Parts: sequence; structure tokens; C-alpha cells
Amino acid sequence: MMFKLAWRNIWRNKRRTIITIVSIAFAVILSSLMRSMQLGSYERMIDNSVRFYTGYIQIHKLGYWDEQVLDNAFYPPKGLQEQIESLDGVEAAVPRLESFALASFKTRSRGAMVIGIDPEKESHLTGVEHKITEGSKVGLNDPRVLMGSGLADYLNMKVGDTLVLISQGYHGVNAAGKYEVAGLVEFGLPQLTNQVVFMPLPAAQYFYGAEGLLTAMAVVTDQPKDVDDVREEILGDLDTTAYEVMGWKTMMPELIQGIEIDNISGIIMLLLLYLVIGFGMFGTFLMMTKERLYEFGVMLSVGMHRSRLQLLIFSEIVLLAILAVLAGFALSLPVINYFSRNPISLPEEYKTAFEKFDIEPIYAFSNEPIVFTSQAWVVFFMALVLSAYPLYKIWKIDPVTAMREGR
Amino acid sequence: MKSTLWLALSLISSFLYAQDASEIIKKVDQKMRGNSSSSNMTMKIVRPDWSREISMKGWSLGTDFSLILITAPARDQGTAFLKRDKELWNWQPTIDRVVKLPPSMMTQSWMGSDFTNDDLVKESSIVNDYNHFIRGDTTITARDAWKIELIPKEGAPVVWGRILIYVSKADYIELLIKYYDEDEFLINTMILSDIREMGGRVIPARMDMIPAENPEYRTVIHYNDIQFDIGISEDFFSIQKMKRIR
Repeated sequence: MMFKLAWRNIWRNKRRTIITIVSIAFAVILSSLMRSMQLGSYERMIDNSVRFYTGYIQIHKLGYWDEQVLDNAFYPPKGLQEQIESLDGVEAAVPRLESFALASFKTRSRGAMVIGIDPEKESHLTGVEHKITEGSKVGLNDPRVLMGSGLADYLNMKVGDTLVLISQGYHGVNAAGKYEVAGLVEFGLPQLTNQVVFMPLPAAQYFYGAEGLLTAMAVVTDQPKDVDDVREEILGDLDTTAYEVMGWKTMMPELIQGIEIDNISGIIMLLLLYLVIGFGMFGTFLMMTKERLYEFGVMLSVGMHRSRLQLLIFSEIVLLAILAVLAGFALSLPVINYFSRNPISLPEEYKTAFEKFDIEPIYAFSNEPIVFTSQAWVVFFMALVLSAYPLYKIWKIDPVTAMREGR
Repeated sequence: MKSTLWLALSLISSFLYAQDASEIIKKVDQKMRGNSSSSNMTMKIVRPDWSREISMKGWSLGTDFSLILITAPARDQGTAFLKRDKELWNWQPTIDRVVKLPPSMMTQSWMGSDFTNDDLVKESSIVNDYNHFIRGDTTITARDAWKIELIPKEGAPVVWGRILIYVSKADYIELLIKYYDEDEFLINTMILSDIREMGGRVIPARMDMIPAENPEYRTVIHYNDIQFDIGISEDFFSIQKMKRIR
């Protein structure tokens, strides 16, 4: 009965209801867009770094992470790759051999990070072959390399030129070699584009005198959230006195910290937004209470209990809030979905500024469910708290004055 | 008067001693180096959990010229180091490049061993760049030996603050060398052993270099054969020769 009454009451004054719904729905849309953009940037940052630097999980020789030198490379146990790839939630296991070398062309030289990769496996992680801006990809047994376009620019190199690499290899061996540049690659993180050289794994192992060795086996999981479970599984299968298995959170604490700090400022902005939204919603409730003062007076005069009237108004507000939140969802979902597929790329003039901070000049959006649900809950809860005003008003009004004032 | 006499006497005696020590060092240096030489060596780098061997050929003329060619392992074959005076050149056949090692690289490890590039260049100046003093007699591996202290001359371009060389009295062979830095800390110890006749001279065929910082590390150089006075000239020690030599 109460519900029916509330439902009818809502639609008695359509215009008022629609204004209220729109104001709440707008609140949901605004806050979820904002949150989506924040979380989306974090996801993108994490994804960029994780996908480039580390992968979500890495297996190394015990102690490699503390001292990242070639001498801490390991011989992967036979079948390690297949064994890991057969685990649930694992997309691929990607072998890596990385160290630094002096890259030189004609009279210019610069330090470079030389990463030995299995080009086929690597497509699961960095997707190198999709980042090629010029030239062609390399095969596993190719003696050619892919280099970051920033590094190539610095050295004045083009596709087809011969890059000279000099370094110290495994156990201090002399490492020097000439490699034809097959293609140029460009990554979201400028730091990488400026120093990376990808070399097929066998060539890199020969270059560093590290035949059969890897510095890391990176694991790509189907879902970022599977990381902890997969890590546990791998730990169960490996000899932990010889190997370490690390999640990206352990490997990149500065990324997490950076995100946490940014997140706090984001949350403060969000609170301010809620405040503004809250006042907007309060305004509509205030208007509603004022408008219906006469009605309330009549109801009380004809003998309706104050608490029953309060319950009625409360049900109305709950119904309104539910409708509004759903409407907010319905409107923000396609927008966020669109932007999460097509992130906003910043215009050229901002790009350089962003690149100085090693940030990809893109506004990405997240369409994780949490974006919507958290906003919905907050706005819904706000509506409930704000309903205290009409309820209080009902508790206090004197039917006679209410009828007189309300007219 | 008496004290003056004492002073004079002690000065003379230390002077004589010093002369004597320098003579010994000169003989030692001559013995090991000869006027010219060619040799076949194996260098073994030993670490607690691995070791690595490098084979090489070496030529030298006096103290100013030497050439080292790596013959094994295969990946380094043909790599050569040329020392001319105080300069060190490196030929890398894999990249077709001759690199003059810059001063900044002098303190870096040579081929991953416990020797530095500097050791290759400066090792020869023990005769000219130091003052020599005999600091007593000892016995090392059943051989009577002088303990000789080398203090760098003022302005000499050396890296050590002090070197102690133990020289066998019987045949002027270095048995033990200790290198100290300017703050009197022991940096490297070199043990010379396996003394036998090679190329007509009695010399130590094995040298162990042990860094004081990591006593379980060592680099062992072993002479497989050596010839002295082979009649090569300065022309042999050229960059062109370094590239061609096999």
C-alpha cells in the first residue's frame, strides 16, 4: 500500500520528479566520469609500465631484483615456460635477457637498454610488433634489432643502418657486436623510446656471452587481478631457494606510491564534487518539501500519523534515488564505454610537456564496474542522508500553519 | 760531532742499501721481461661459483711496447690489445673498430679479470717510477728472499701508494707482491709460483692475482711457453699489425 502510494505520489507531479531525477542522475554521471578518468589513467600507467618494464609477474634468480646485473641471470629449468603457460589464468610466459650497453653509430654514442626477446612471446607483453613505426619486425633467429625511435634520432640512424653495441657480458666477458636495424619502435613512455634496443633472444644471449640464460621470465596473466593467485601457484611449483617470484606491486613500489598520492588529490576533488552535487540535491528536496507543505498539512489534519507520512516520503525519496541512479548509469555507461575504447589524445602542444614527465599524453577512461557502483552508492547514500530534511520538517510542522503557508 | 758522524754513516748506508735495492729490482725486471719476448698464456678468472678461461698470445719489446692477442674462447678470438708507451688500444674484430681506451676506463677490469687496464699499461714502471728500499730478509716457500719496499717518486704517474716485493735471493725472482693504496690499505696480492725453466730462463710460470676486497676471487695467469730476445722491432707494435695478427 505504502509503496503504491509512494509510486503514485512520485508521478503526480511529473515535472518536479524529473527535475529531481535529472539532478541526481547528473551527479552520478559527473562523479563517475571523473572517477573513471582517474582510475583509467592509473590503469593505463600501470599497464604501460607493467607491459613494458616487468610484466605482471616475474621469475628471477633469487637476489636478481636487488642486484640487477647480468651475473644474476639463470638457466631456466627445462619446461619452465610450458609449465607456467599451462597454469590457469596465465596468458603467456615471456623470456627476457636484459642489460645495458653502449650504442654507437658513426661518431655518436649513448647508453642503451638492450633487451633480448622472443618476438612471438613478446607480442603478449609489450606487443613490440604493433609499436613499429618504421621498418619491419624481427624473427627469433634474426640477427637484426629493433630500436626506440628516440634513440635512433639521437644517433642519427635510419632503418637499415648498422648499430654497434659494446658492453660487458655475463661473467665479465667482452661483448661487442654489429647489428642491422630492422625497424624503429615507439612506446607510450618516452623514457623507453629513448633508450631501448630489442634484440632476438639467441642473438642477445650470444652478444652477452650468456647462452641459454635469462635474467627474467615475465608472466602475463589474463586479468590483472589474477596476479596474486597465479604468483602463489608459481611459487608452489618452483624451488624458492633458487628463484624469486615477484608481482608488479613489489617490483614497482614507486608507481604504486605515485598513484596513491595522486589518488588522494583525486579523492579530495571528488569530495568537493560531491559537496556541490549534495547541495544541488538538497535544493530539489527543499523545493519539494516547500511545495508539498499544504499537502502534508492536510494529511496530518485528516489523521495520518506523522511516522506514516515520514515513511511515505522516505519511500518516495528512495524510489527517486533508485530511478535517478539507474538513469545516471544508463547515460554514463555509453559515454564511458566510448571513451574507454577511444581515449582522448591530447593536442600536439601538450605532448612535449607530458613527455617531460614521462607520462603518456592521453586521457584514458576506465570502465571497471567499481567506477559505477561506488558512485551509485555514494549518491544513493547522499540522497538518504538529505532526506533527513523533509522528514524533520514533517515531524515539526503544525498542520494549520502548514496549510496556511503552503497555499 | 759524534752524532753528525752517525747521521752521515746512516745516510751513506741507506743510500747504499737503496742502490742495492734498485739493482735488485732492475735485475728482476730484466729477468721477467728480457729485451723482447713472445709468449703463450692462459688466464683463468676464478670466482666462488664460476670460472672462465681465456687463452692468449703476447709479444713485448722493452717496457714500452706490448701486444696481446686473444685466441680463445671463439667469441673473443682475434680481439687484441696494443700497448704503446702509456697508451692502450683495443681492436674488436666483431665490430671492426679500434678503440683507444680513455683514461676513465683505465681503472676498469681487463677482460673481466682482477687486473685493471691500468695494470697492463703501468706495470712496467717499477724500475723508473719508484724509490726502492730493502726492508729485511724472509723466507717464502722455502726460498730466502729480500723484502723490498717501493715508494713512488714524487710526481710519478702511478696508482699505488706503496708496493712490497719479495724477491728470491738465489735467482732474482719475484715471489710475492703486495700492492697498497695511498692510505696504506692492501689492495691486491700477487703470488708467483711454479718456478721453472722456460725459454732459457728460470722464471715463475704462474701468477695469482688476489684482490684484498674479495679474497675468494682470483685471476691466474699461466705461461705455457715463452721465448726471449726474439728479434722484433717497434714496427711490430702498430695498429695495422694489431688488426692483422693471428
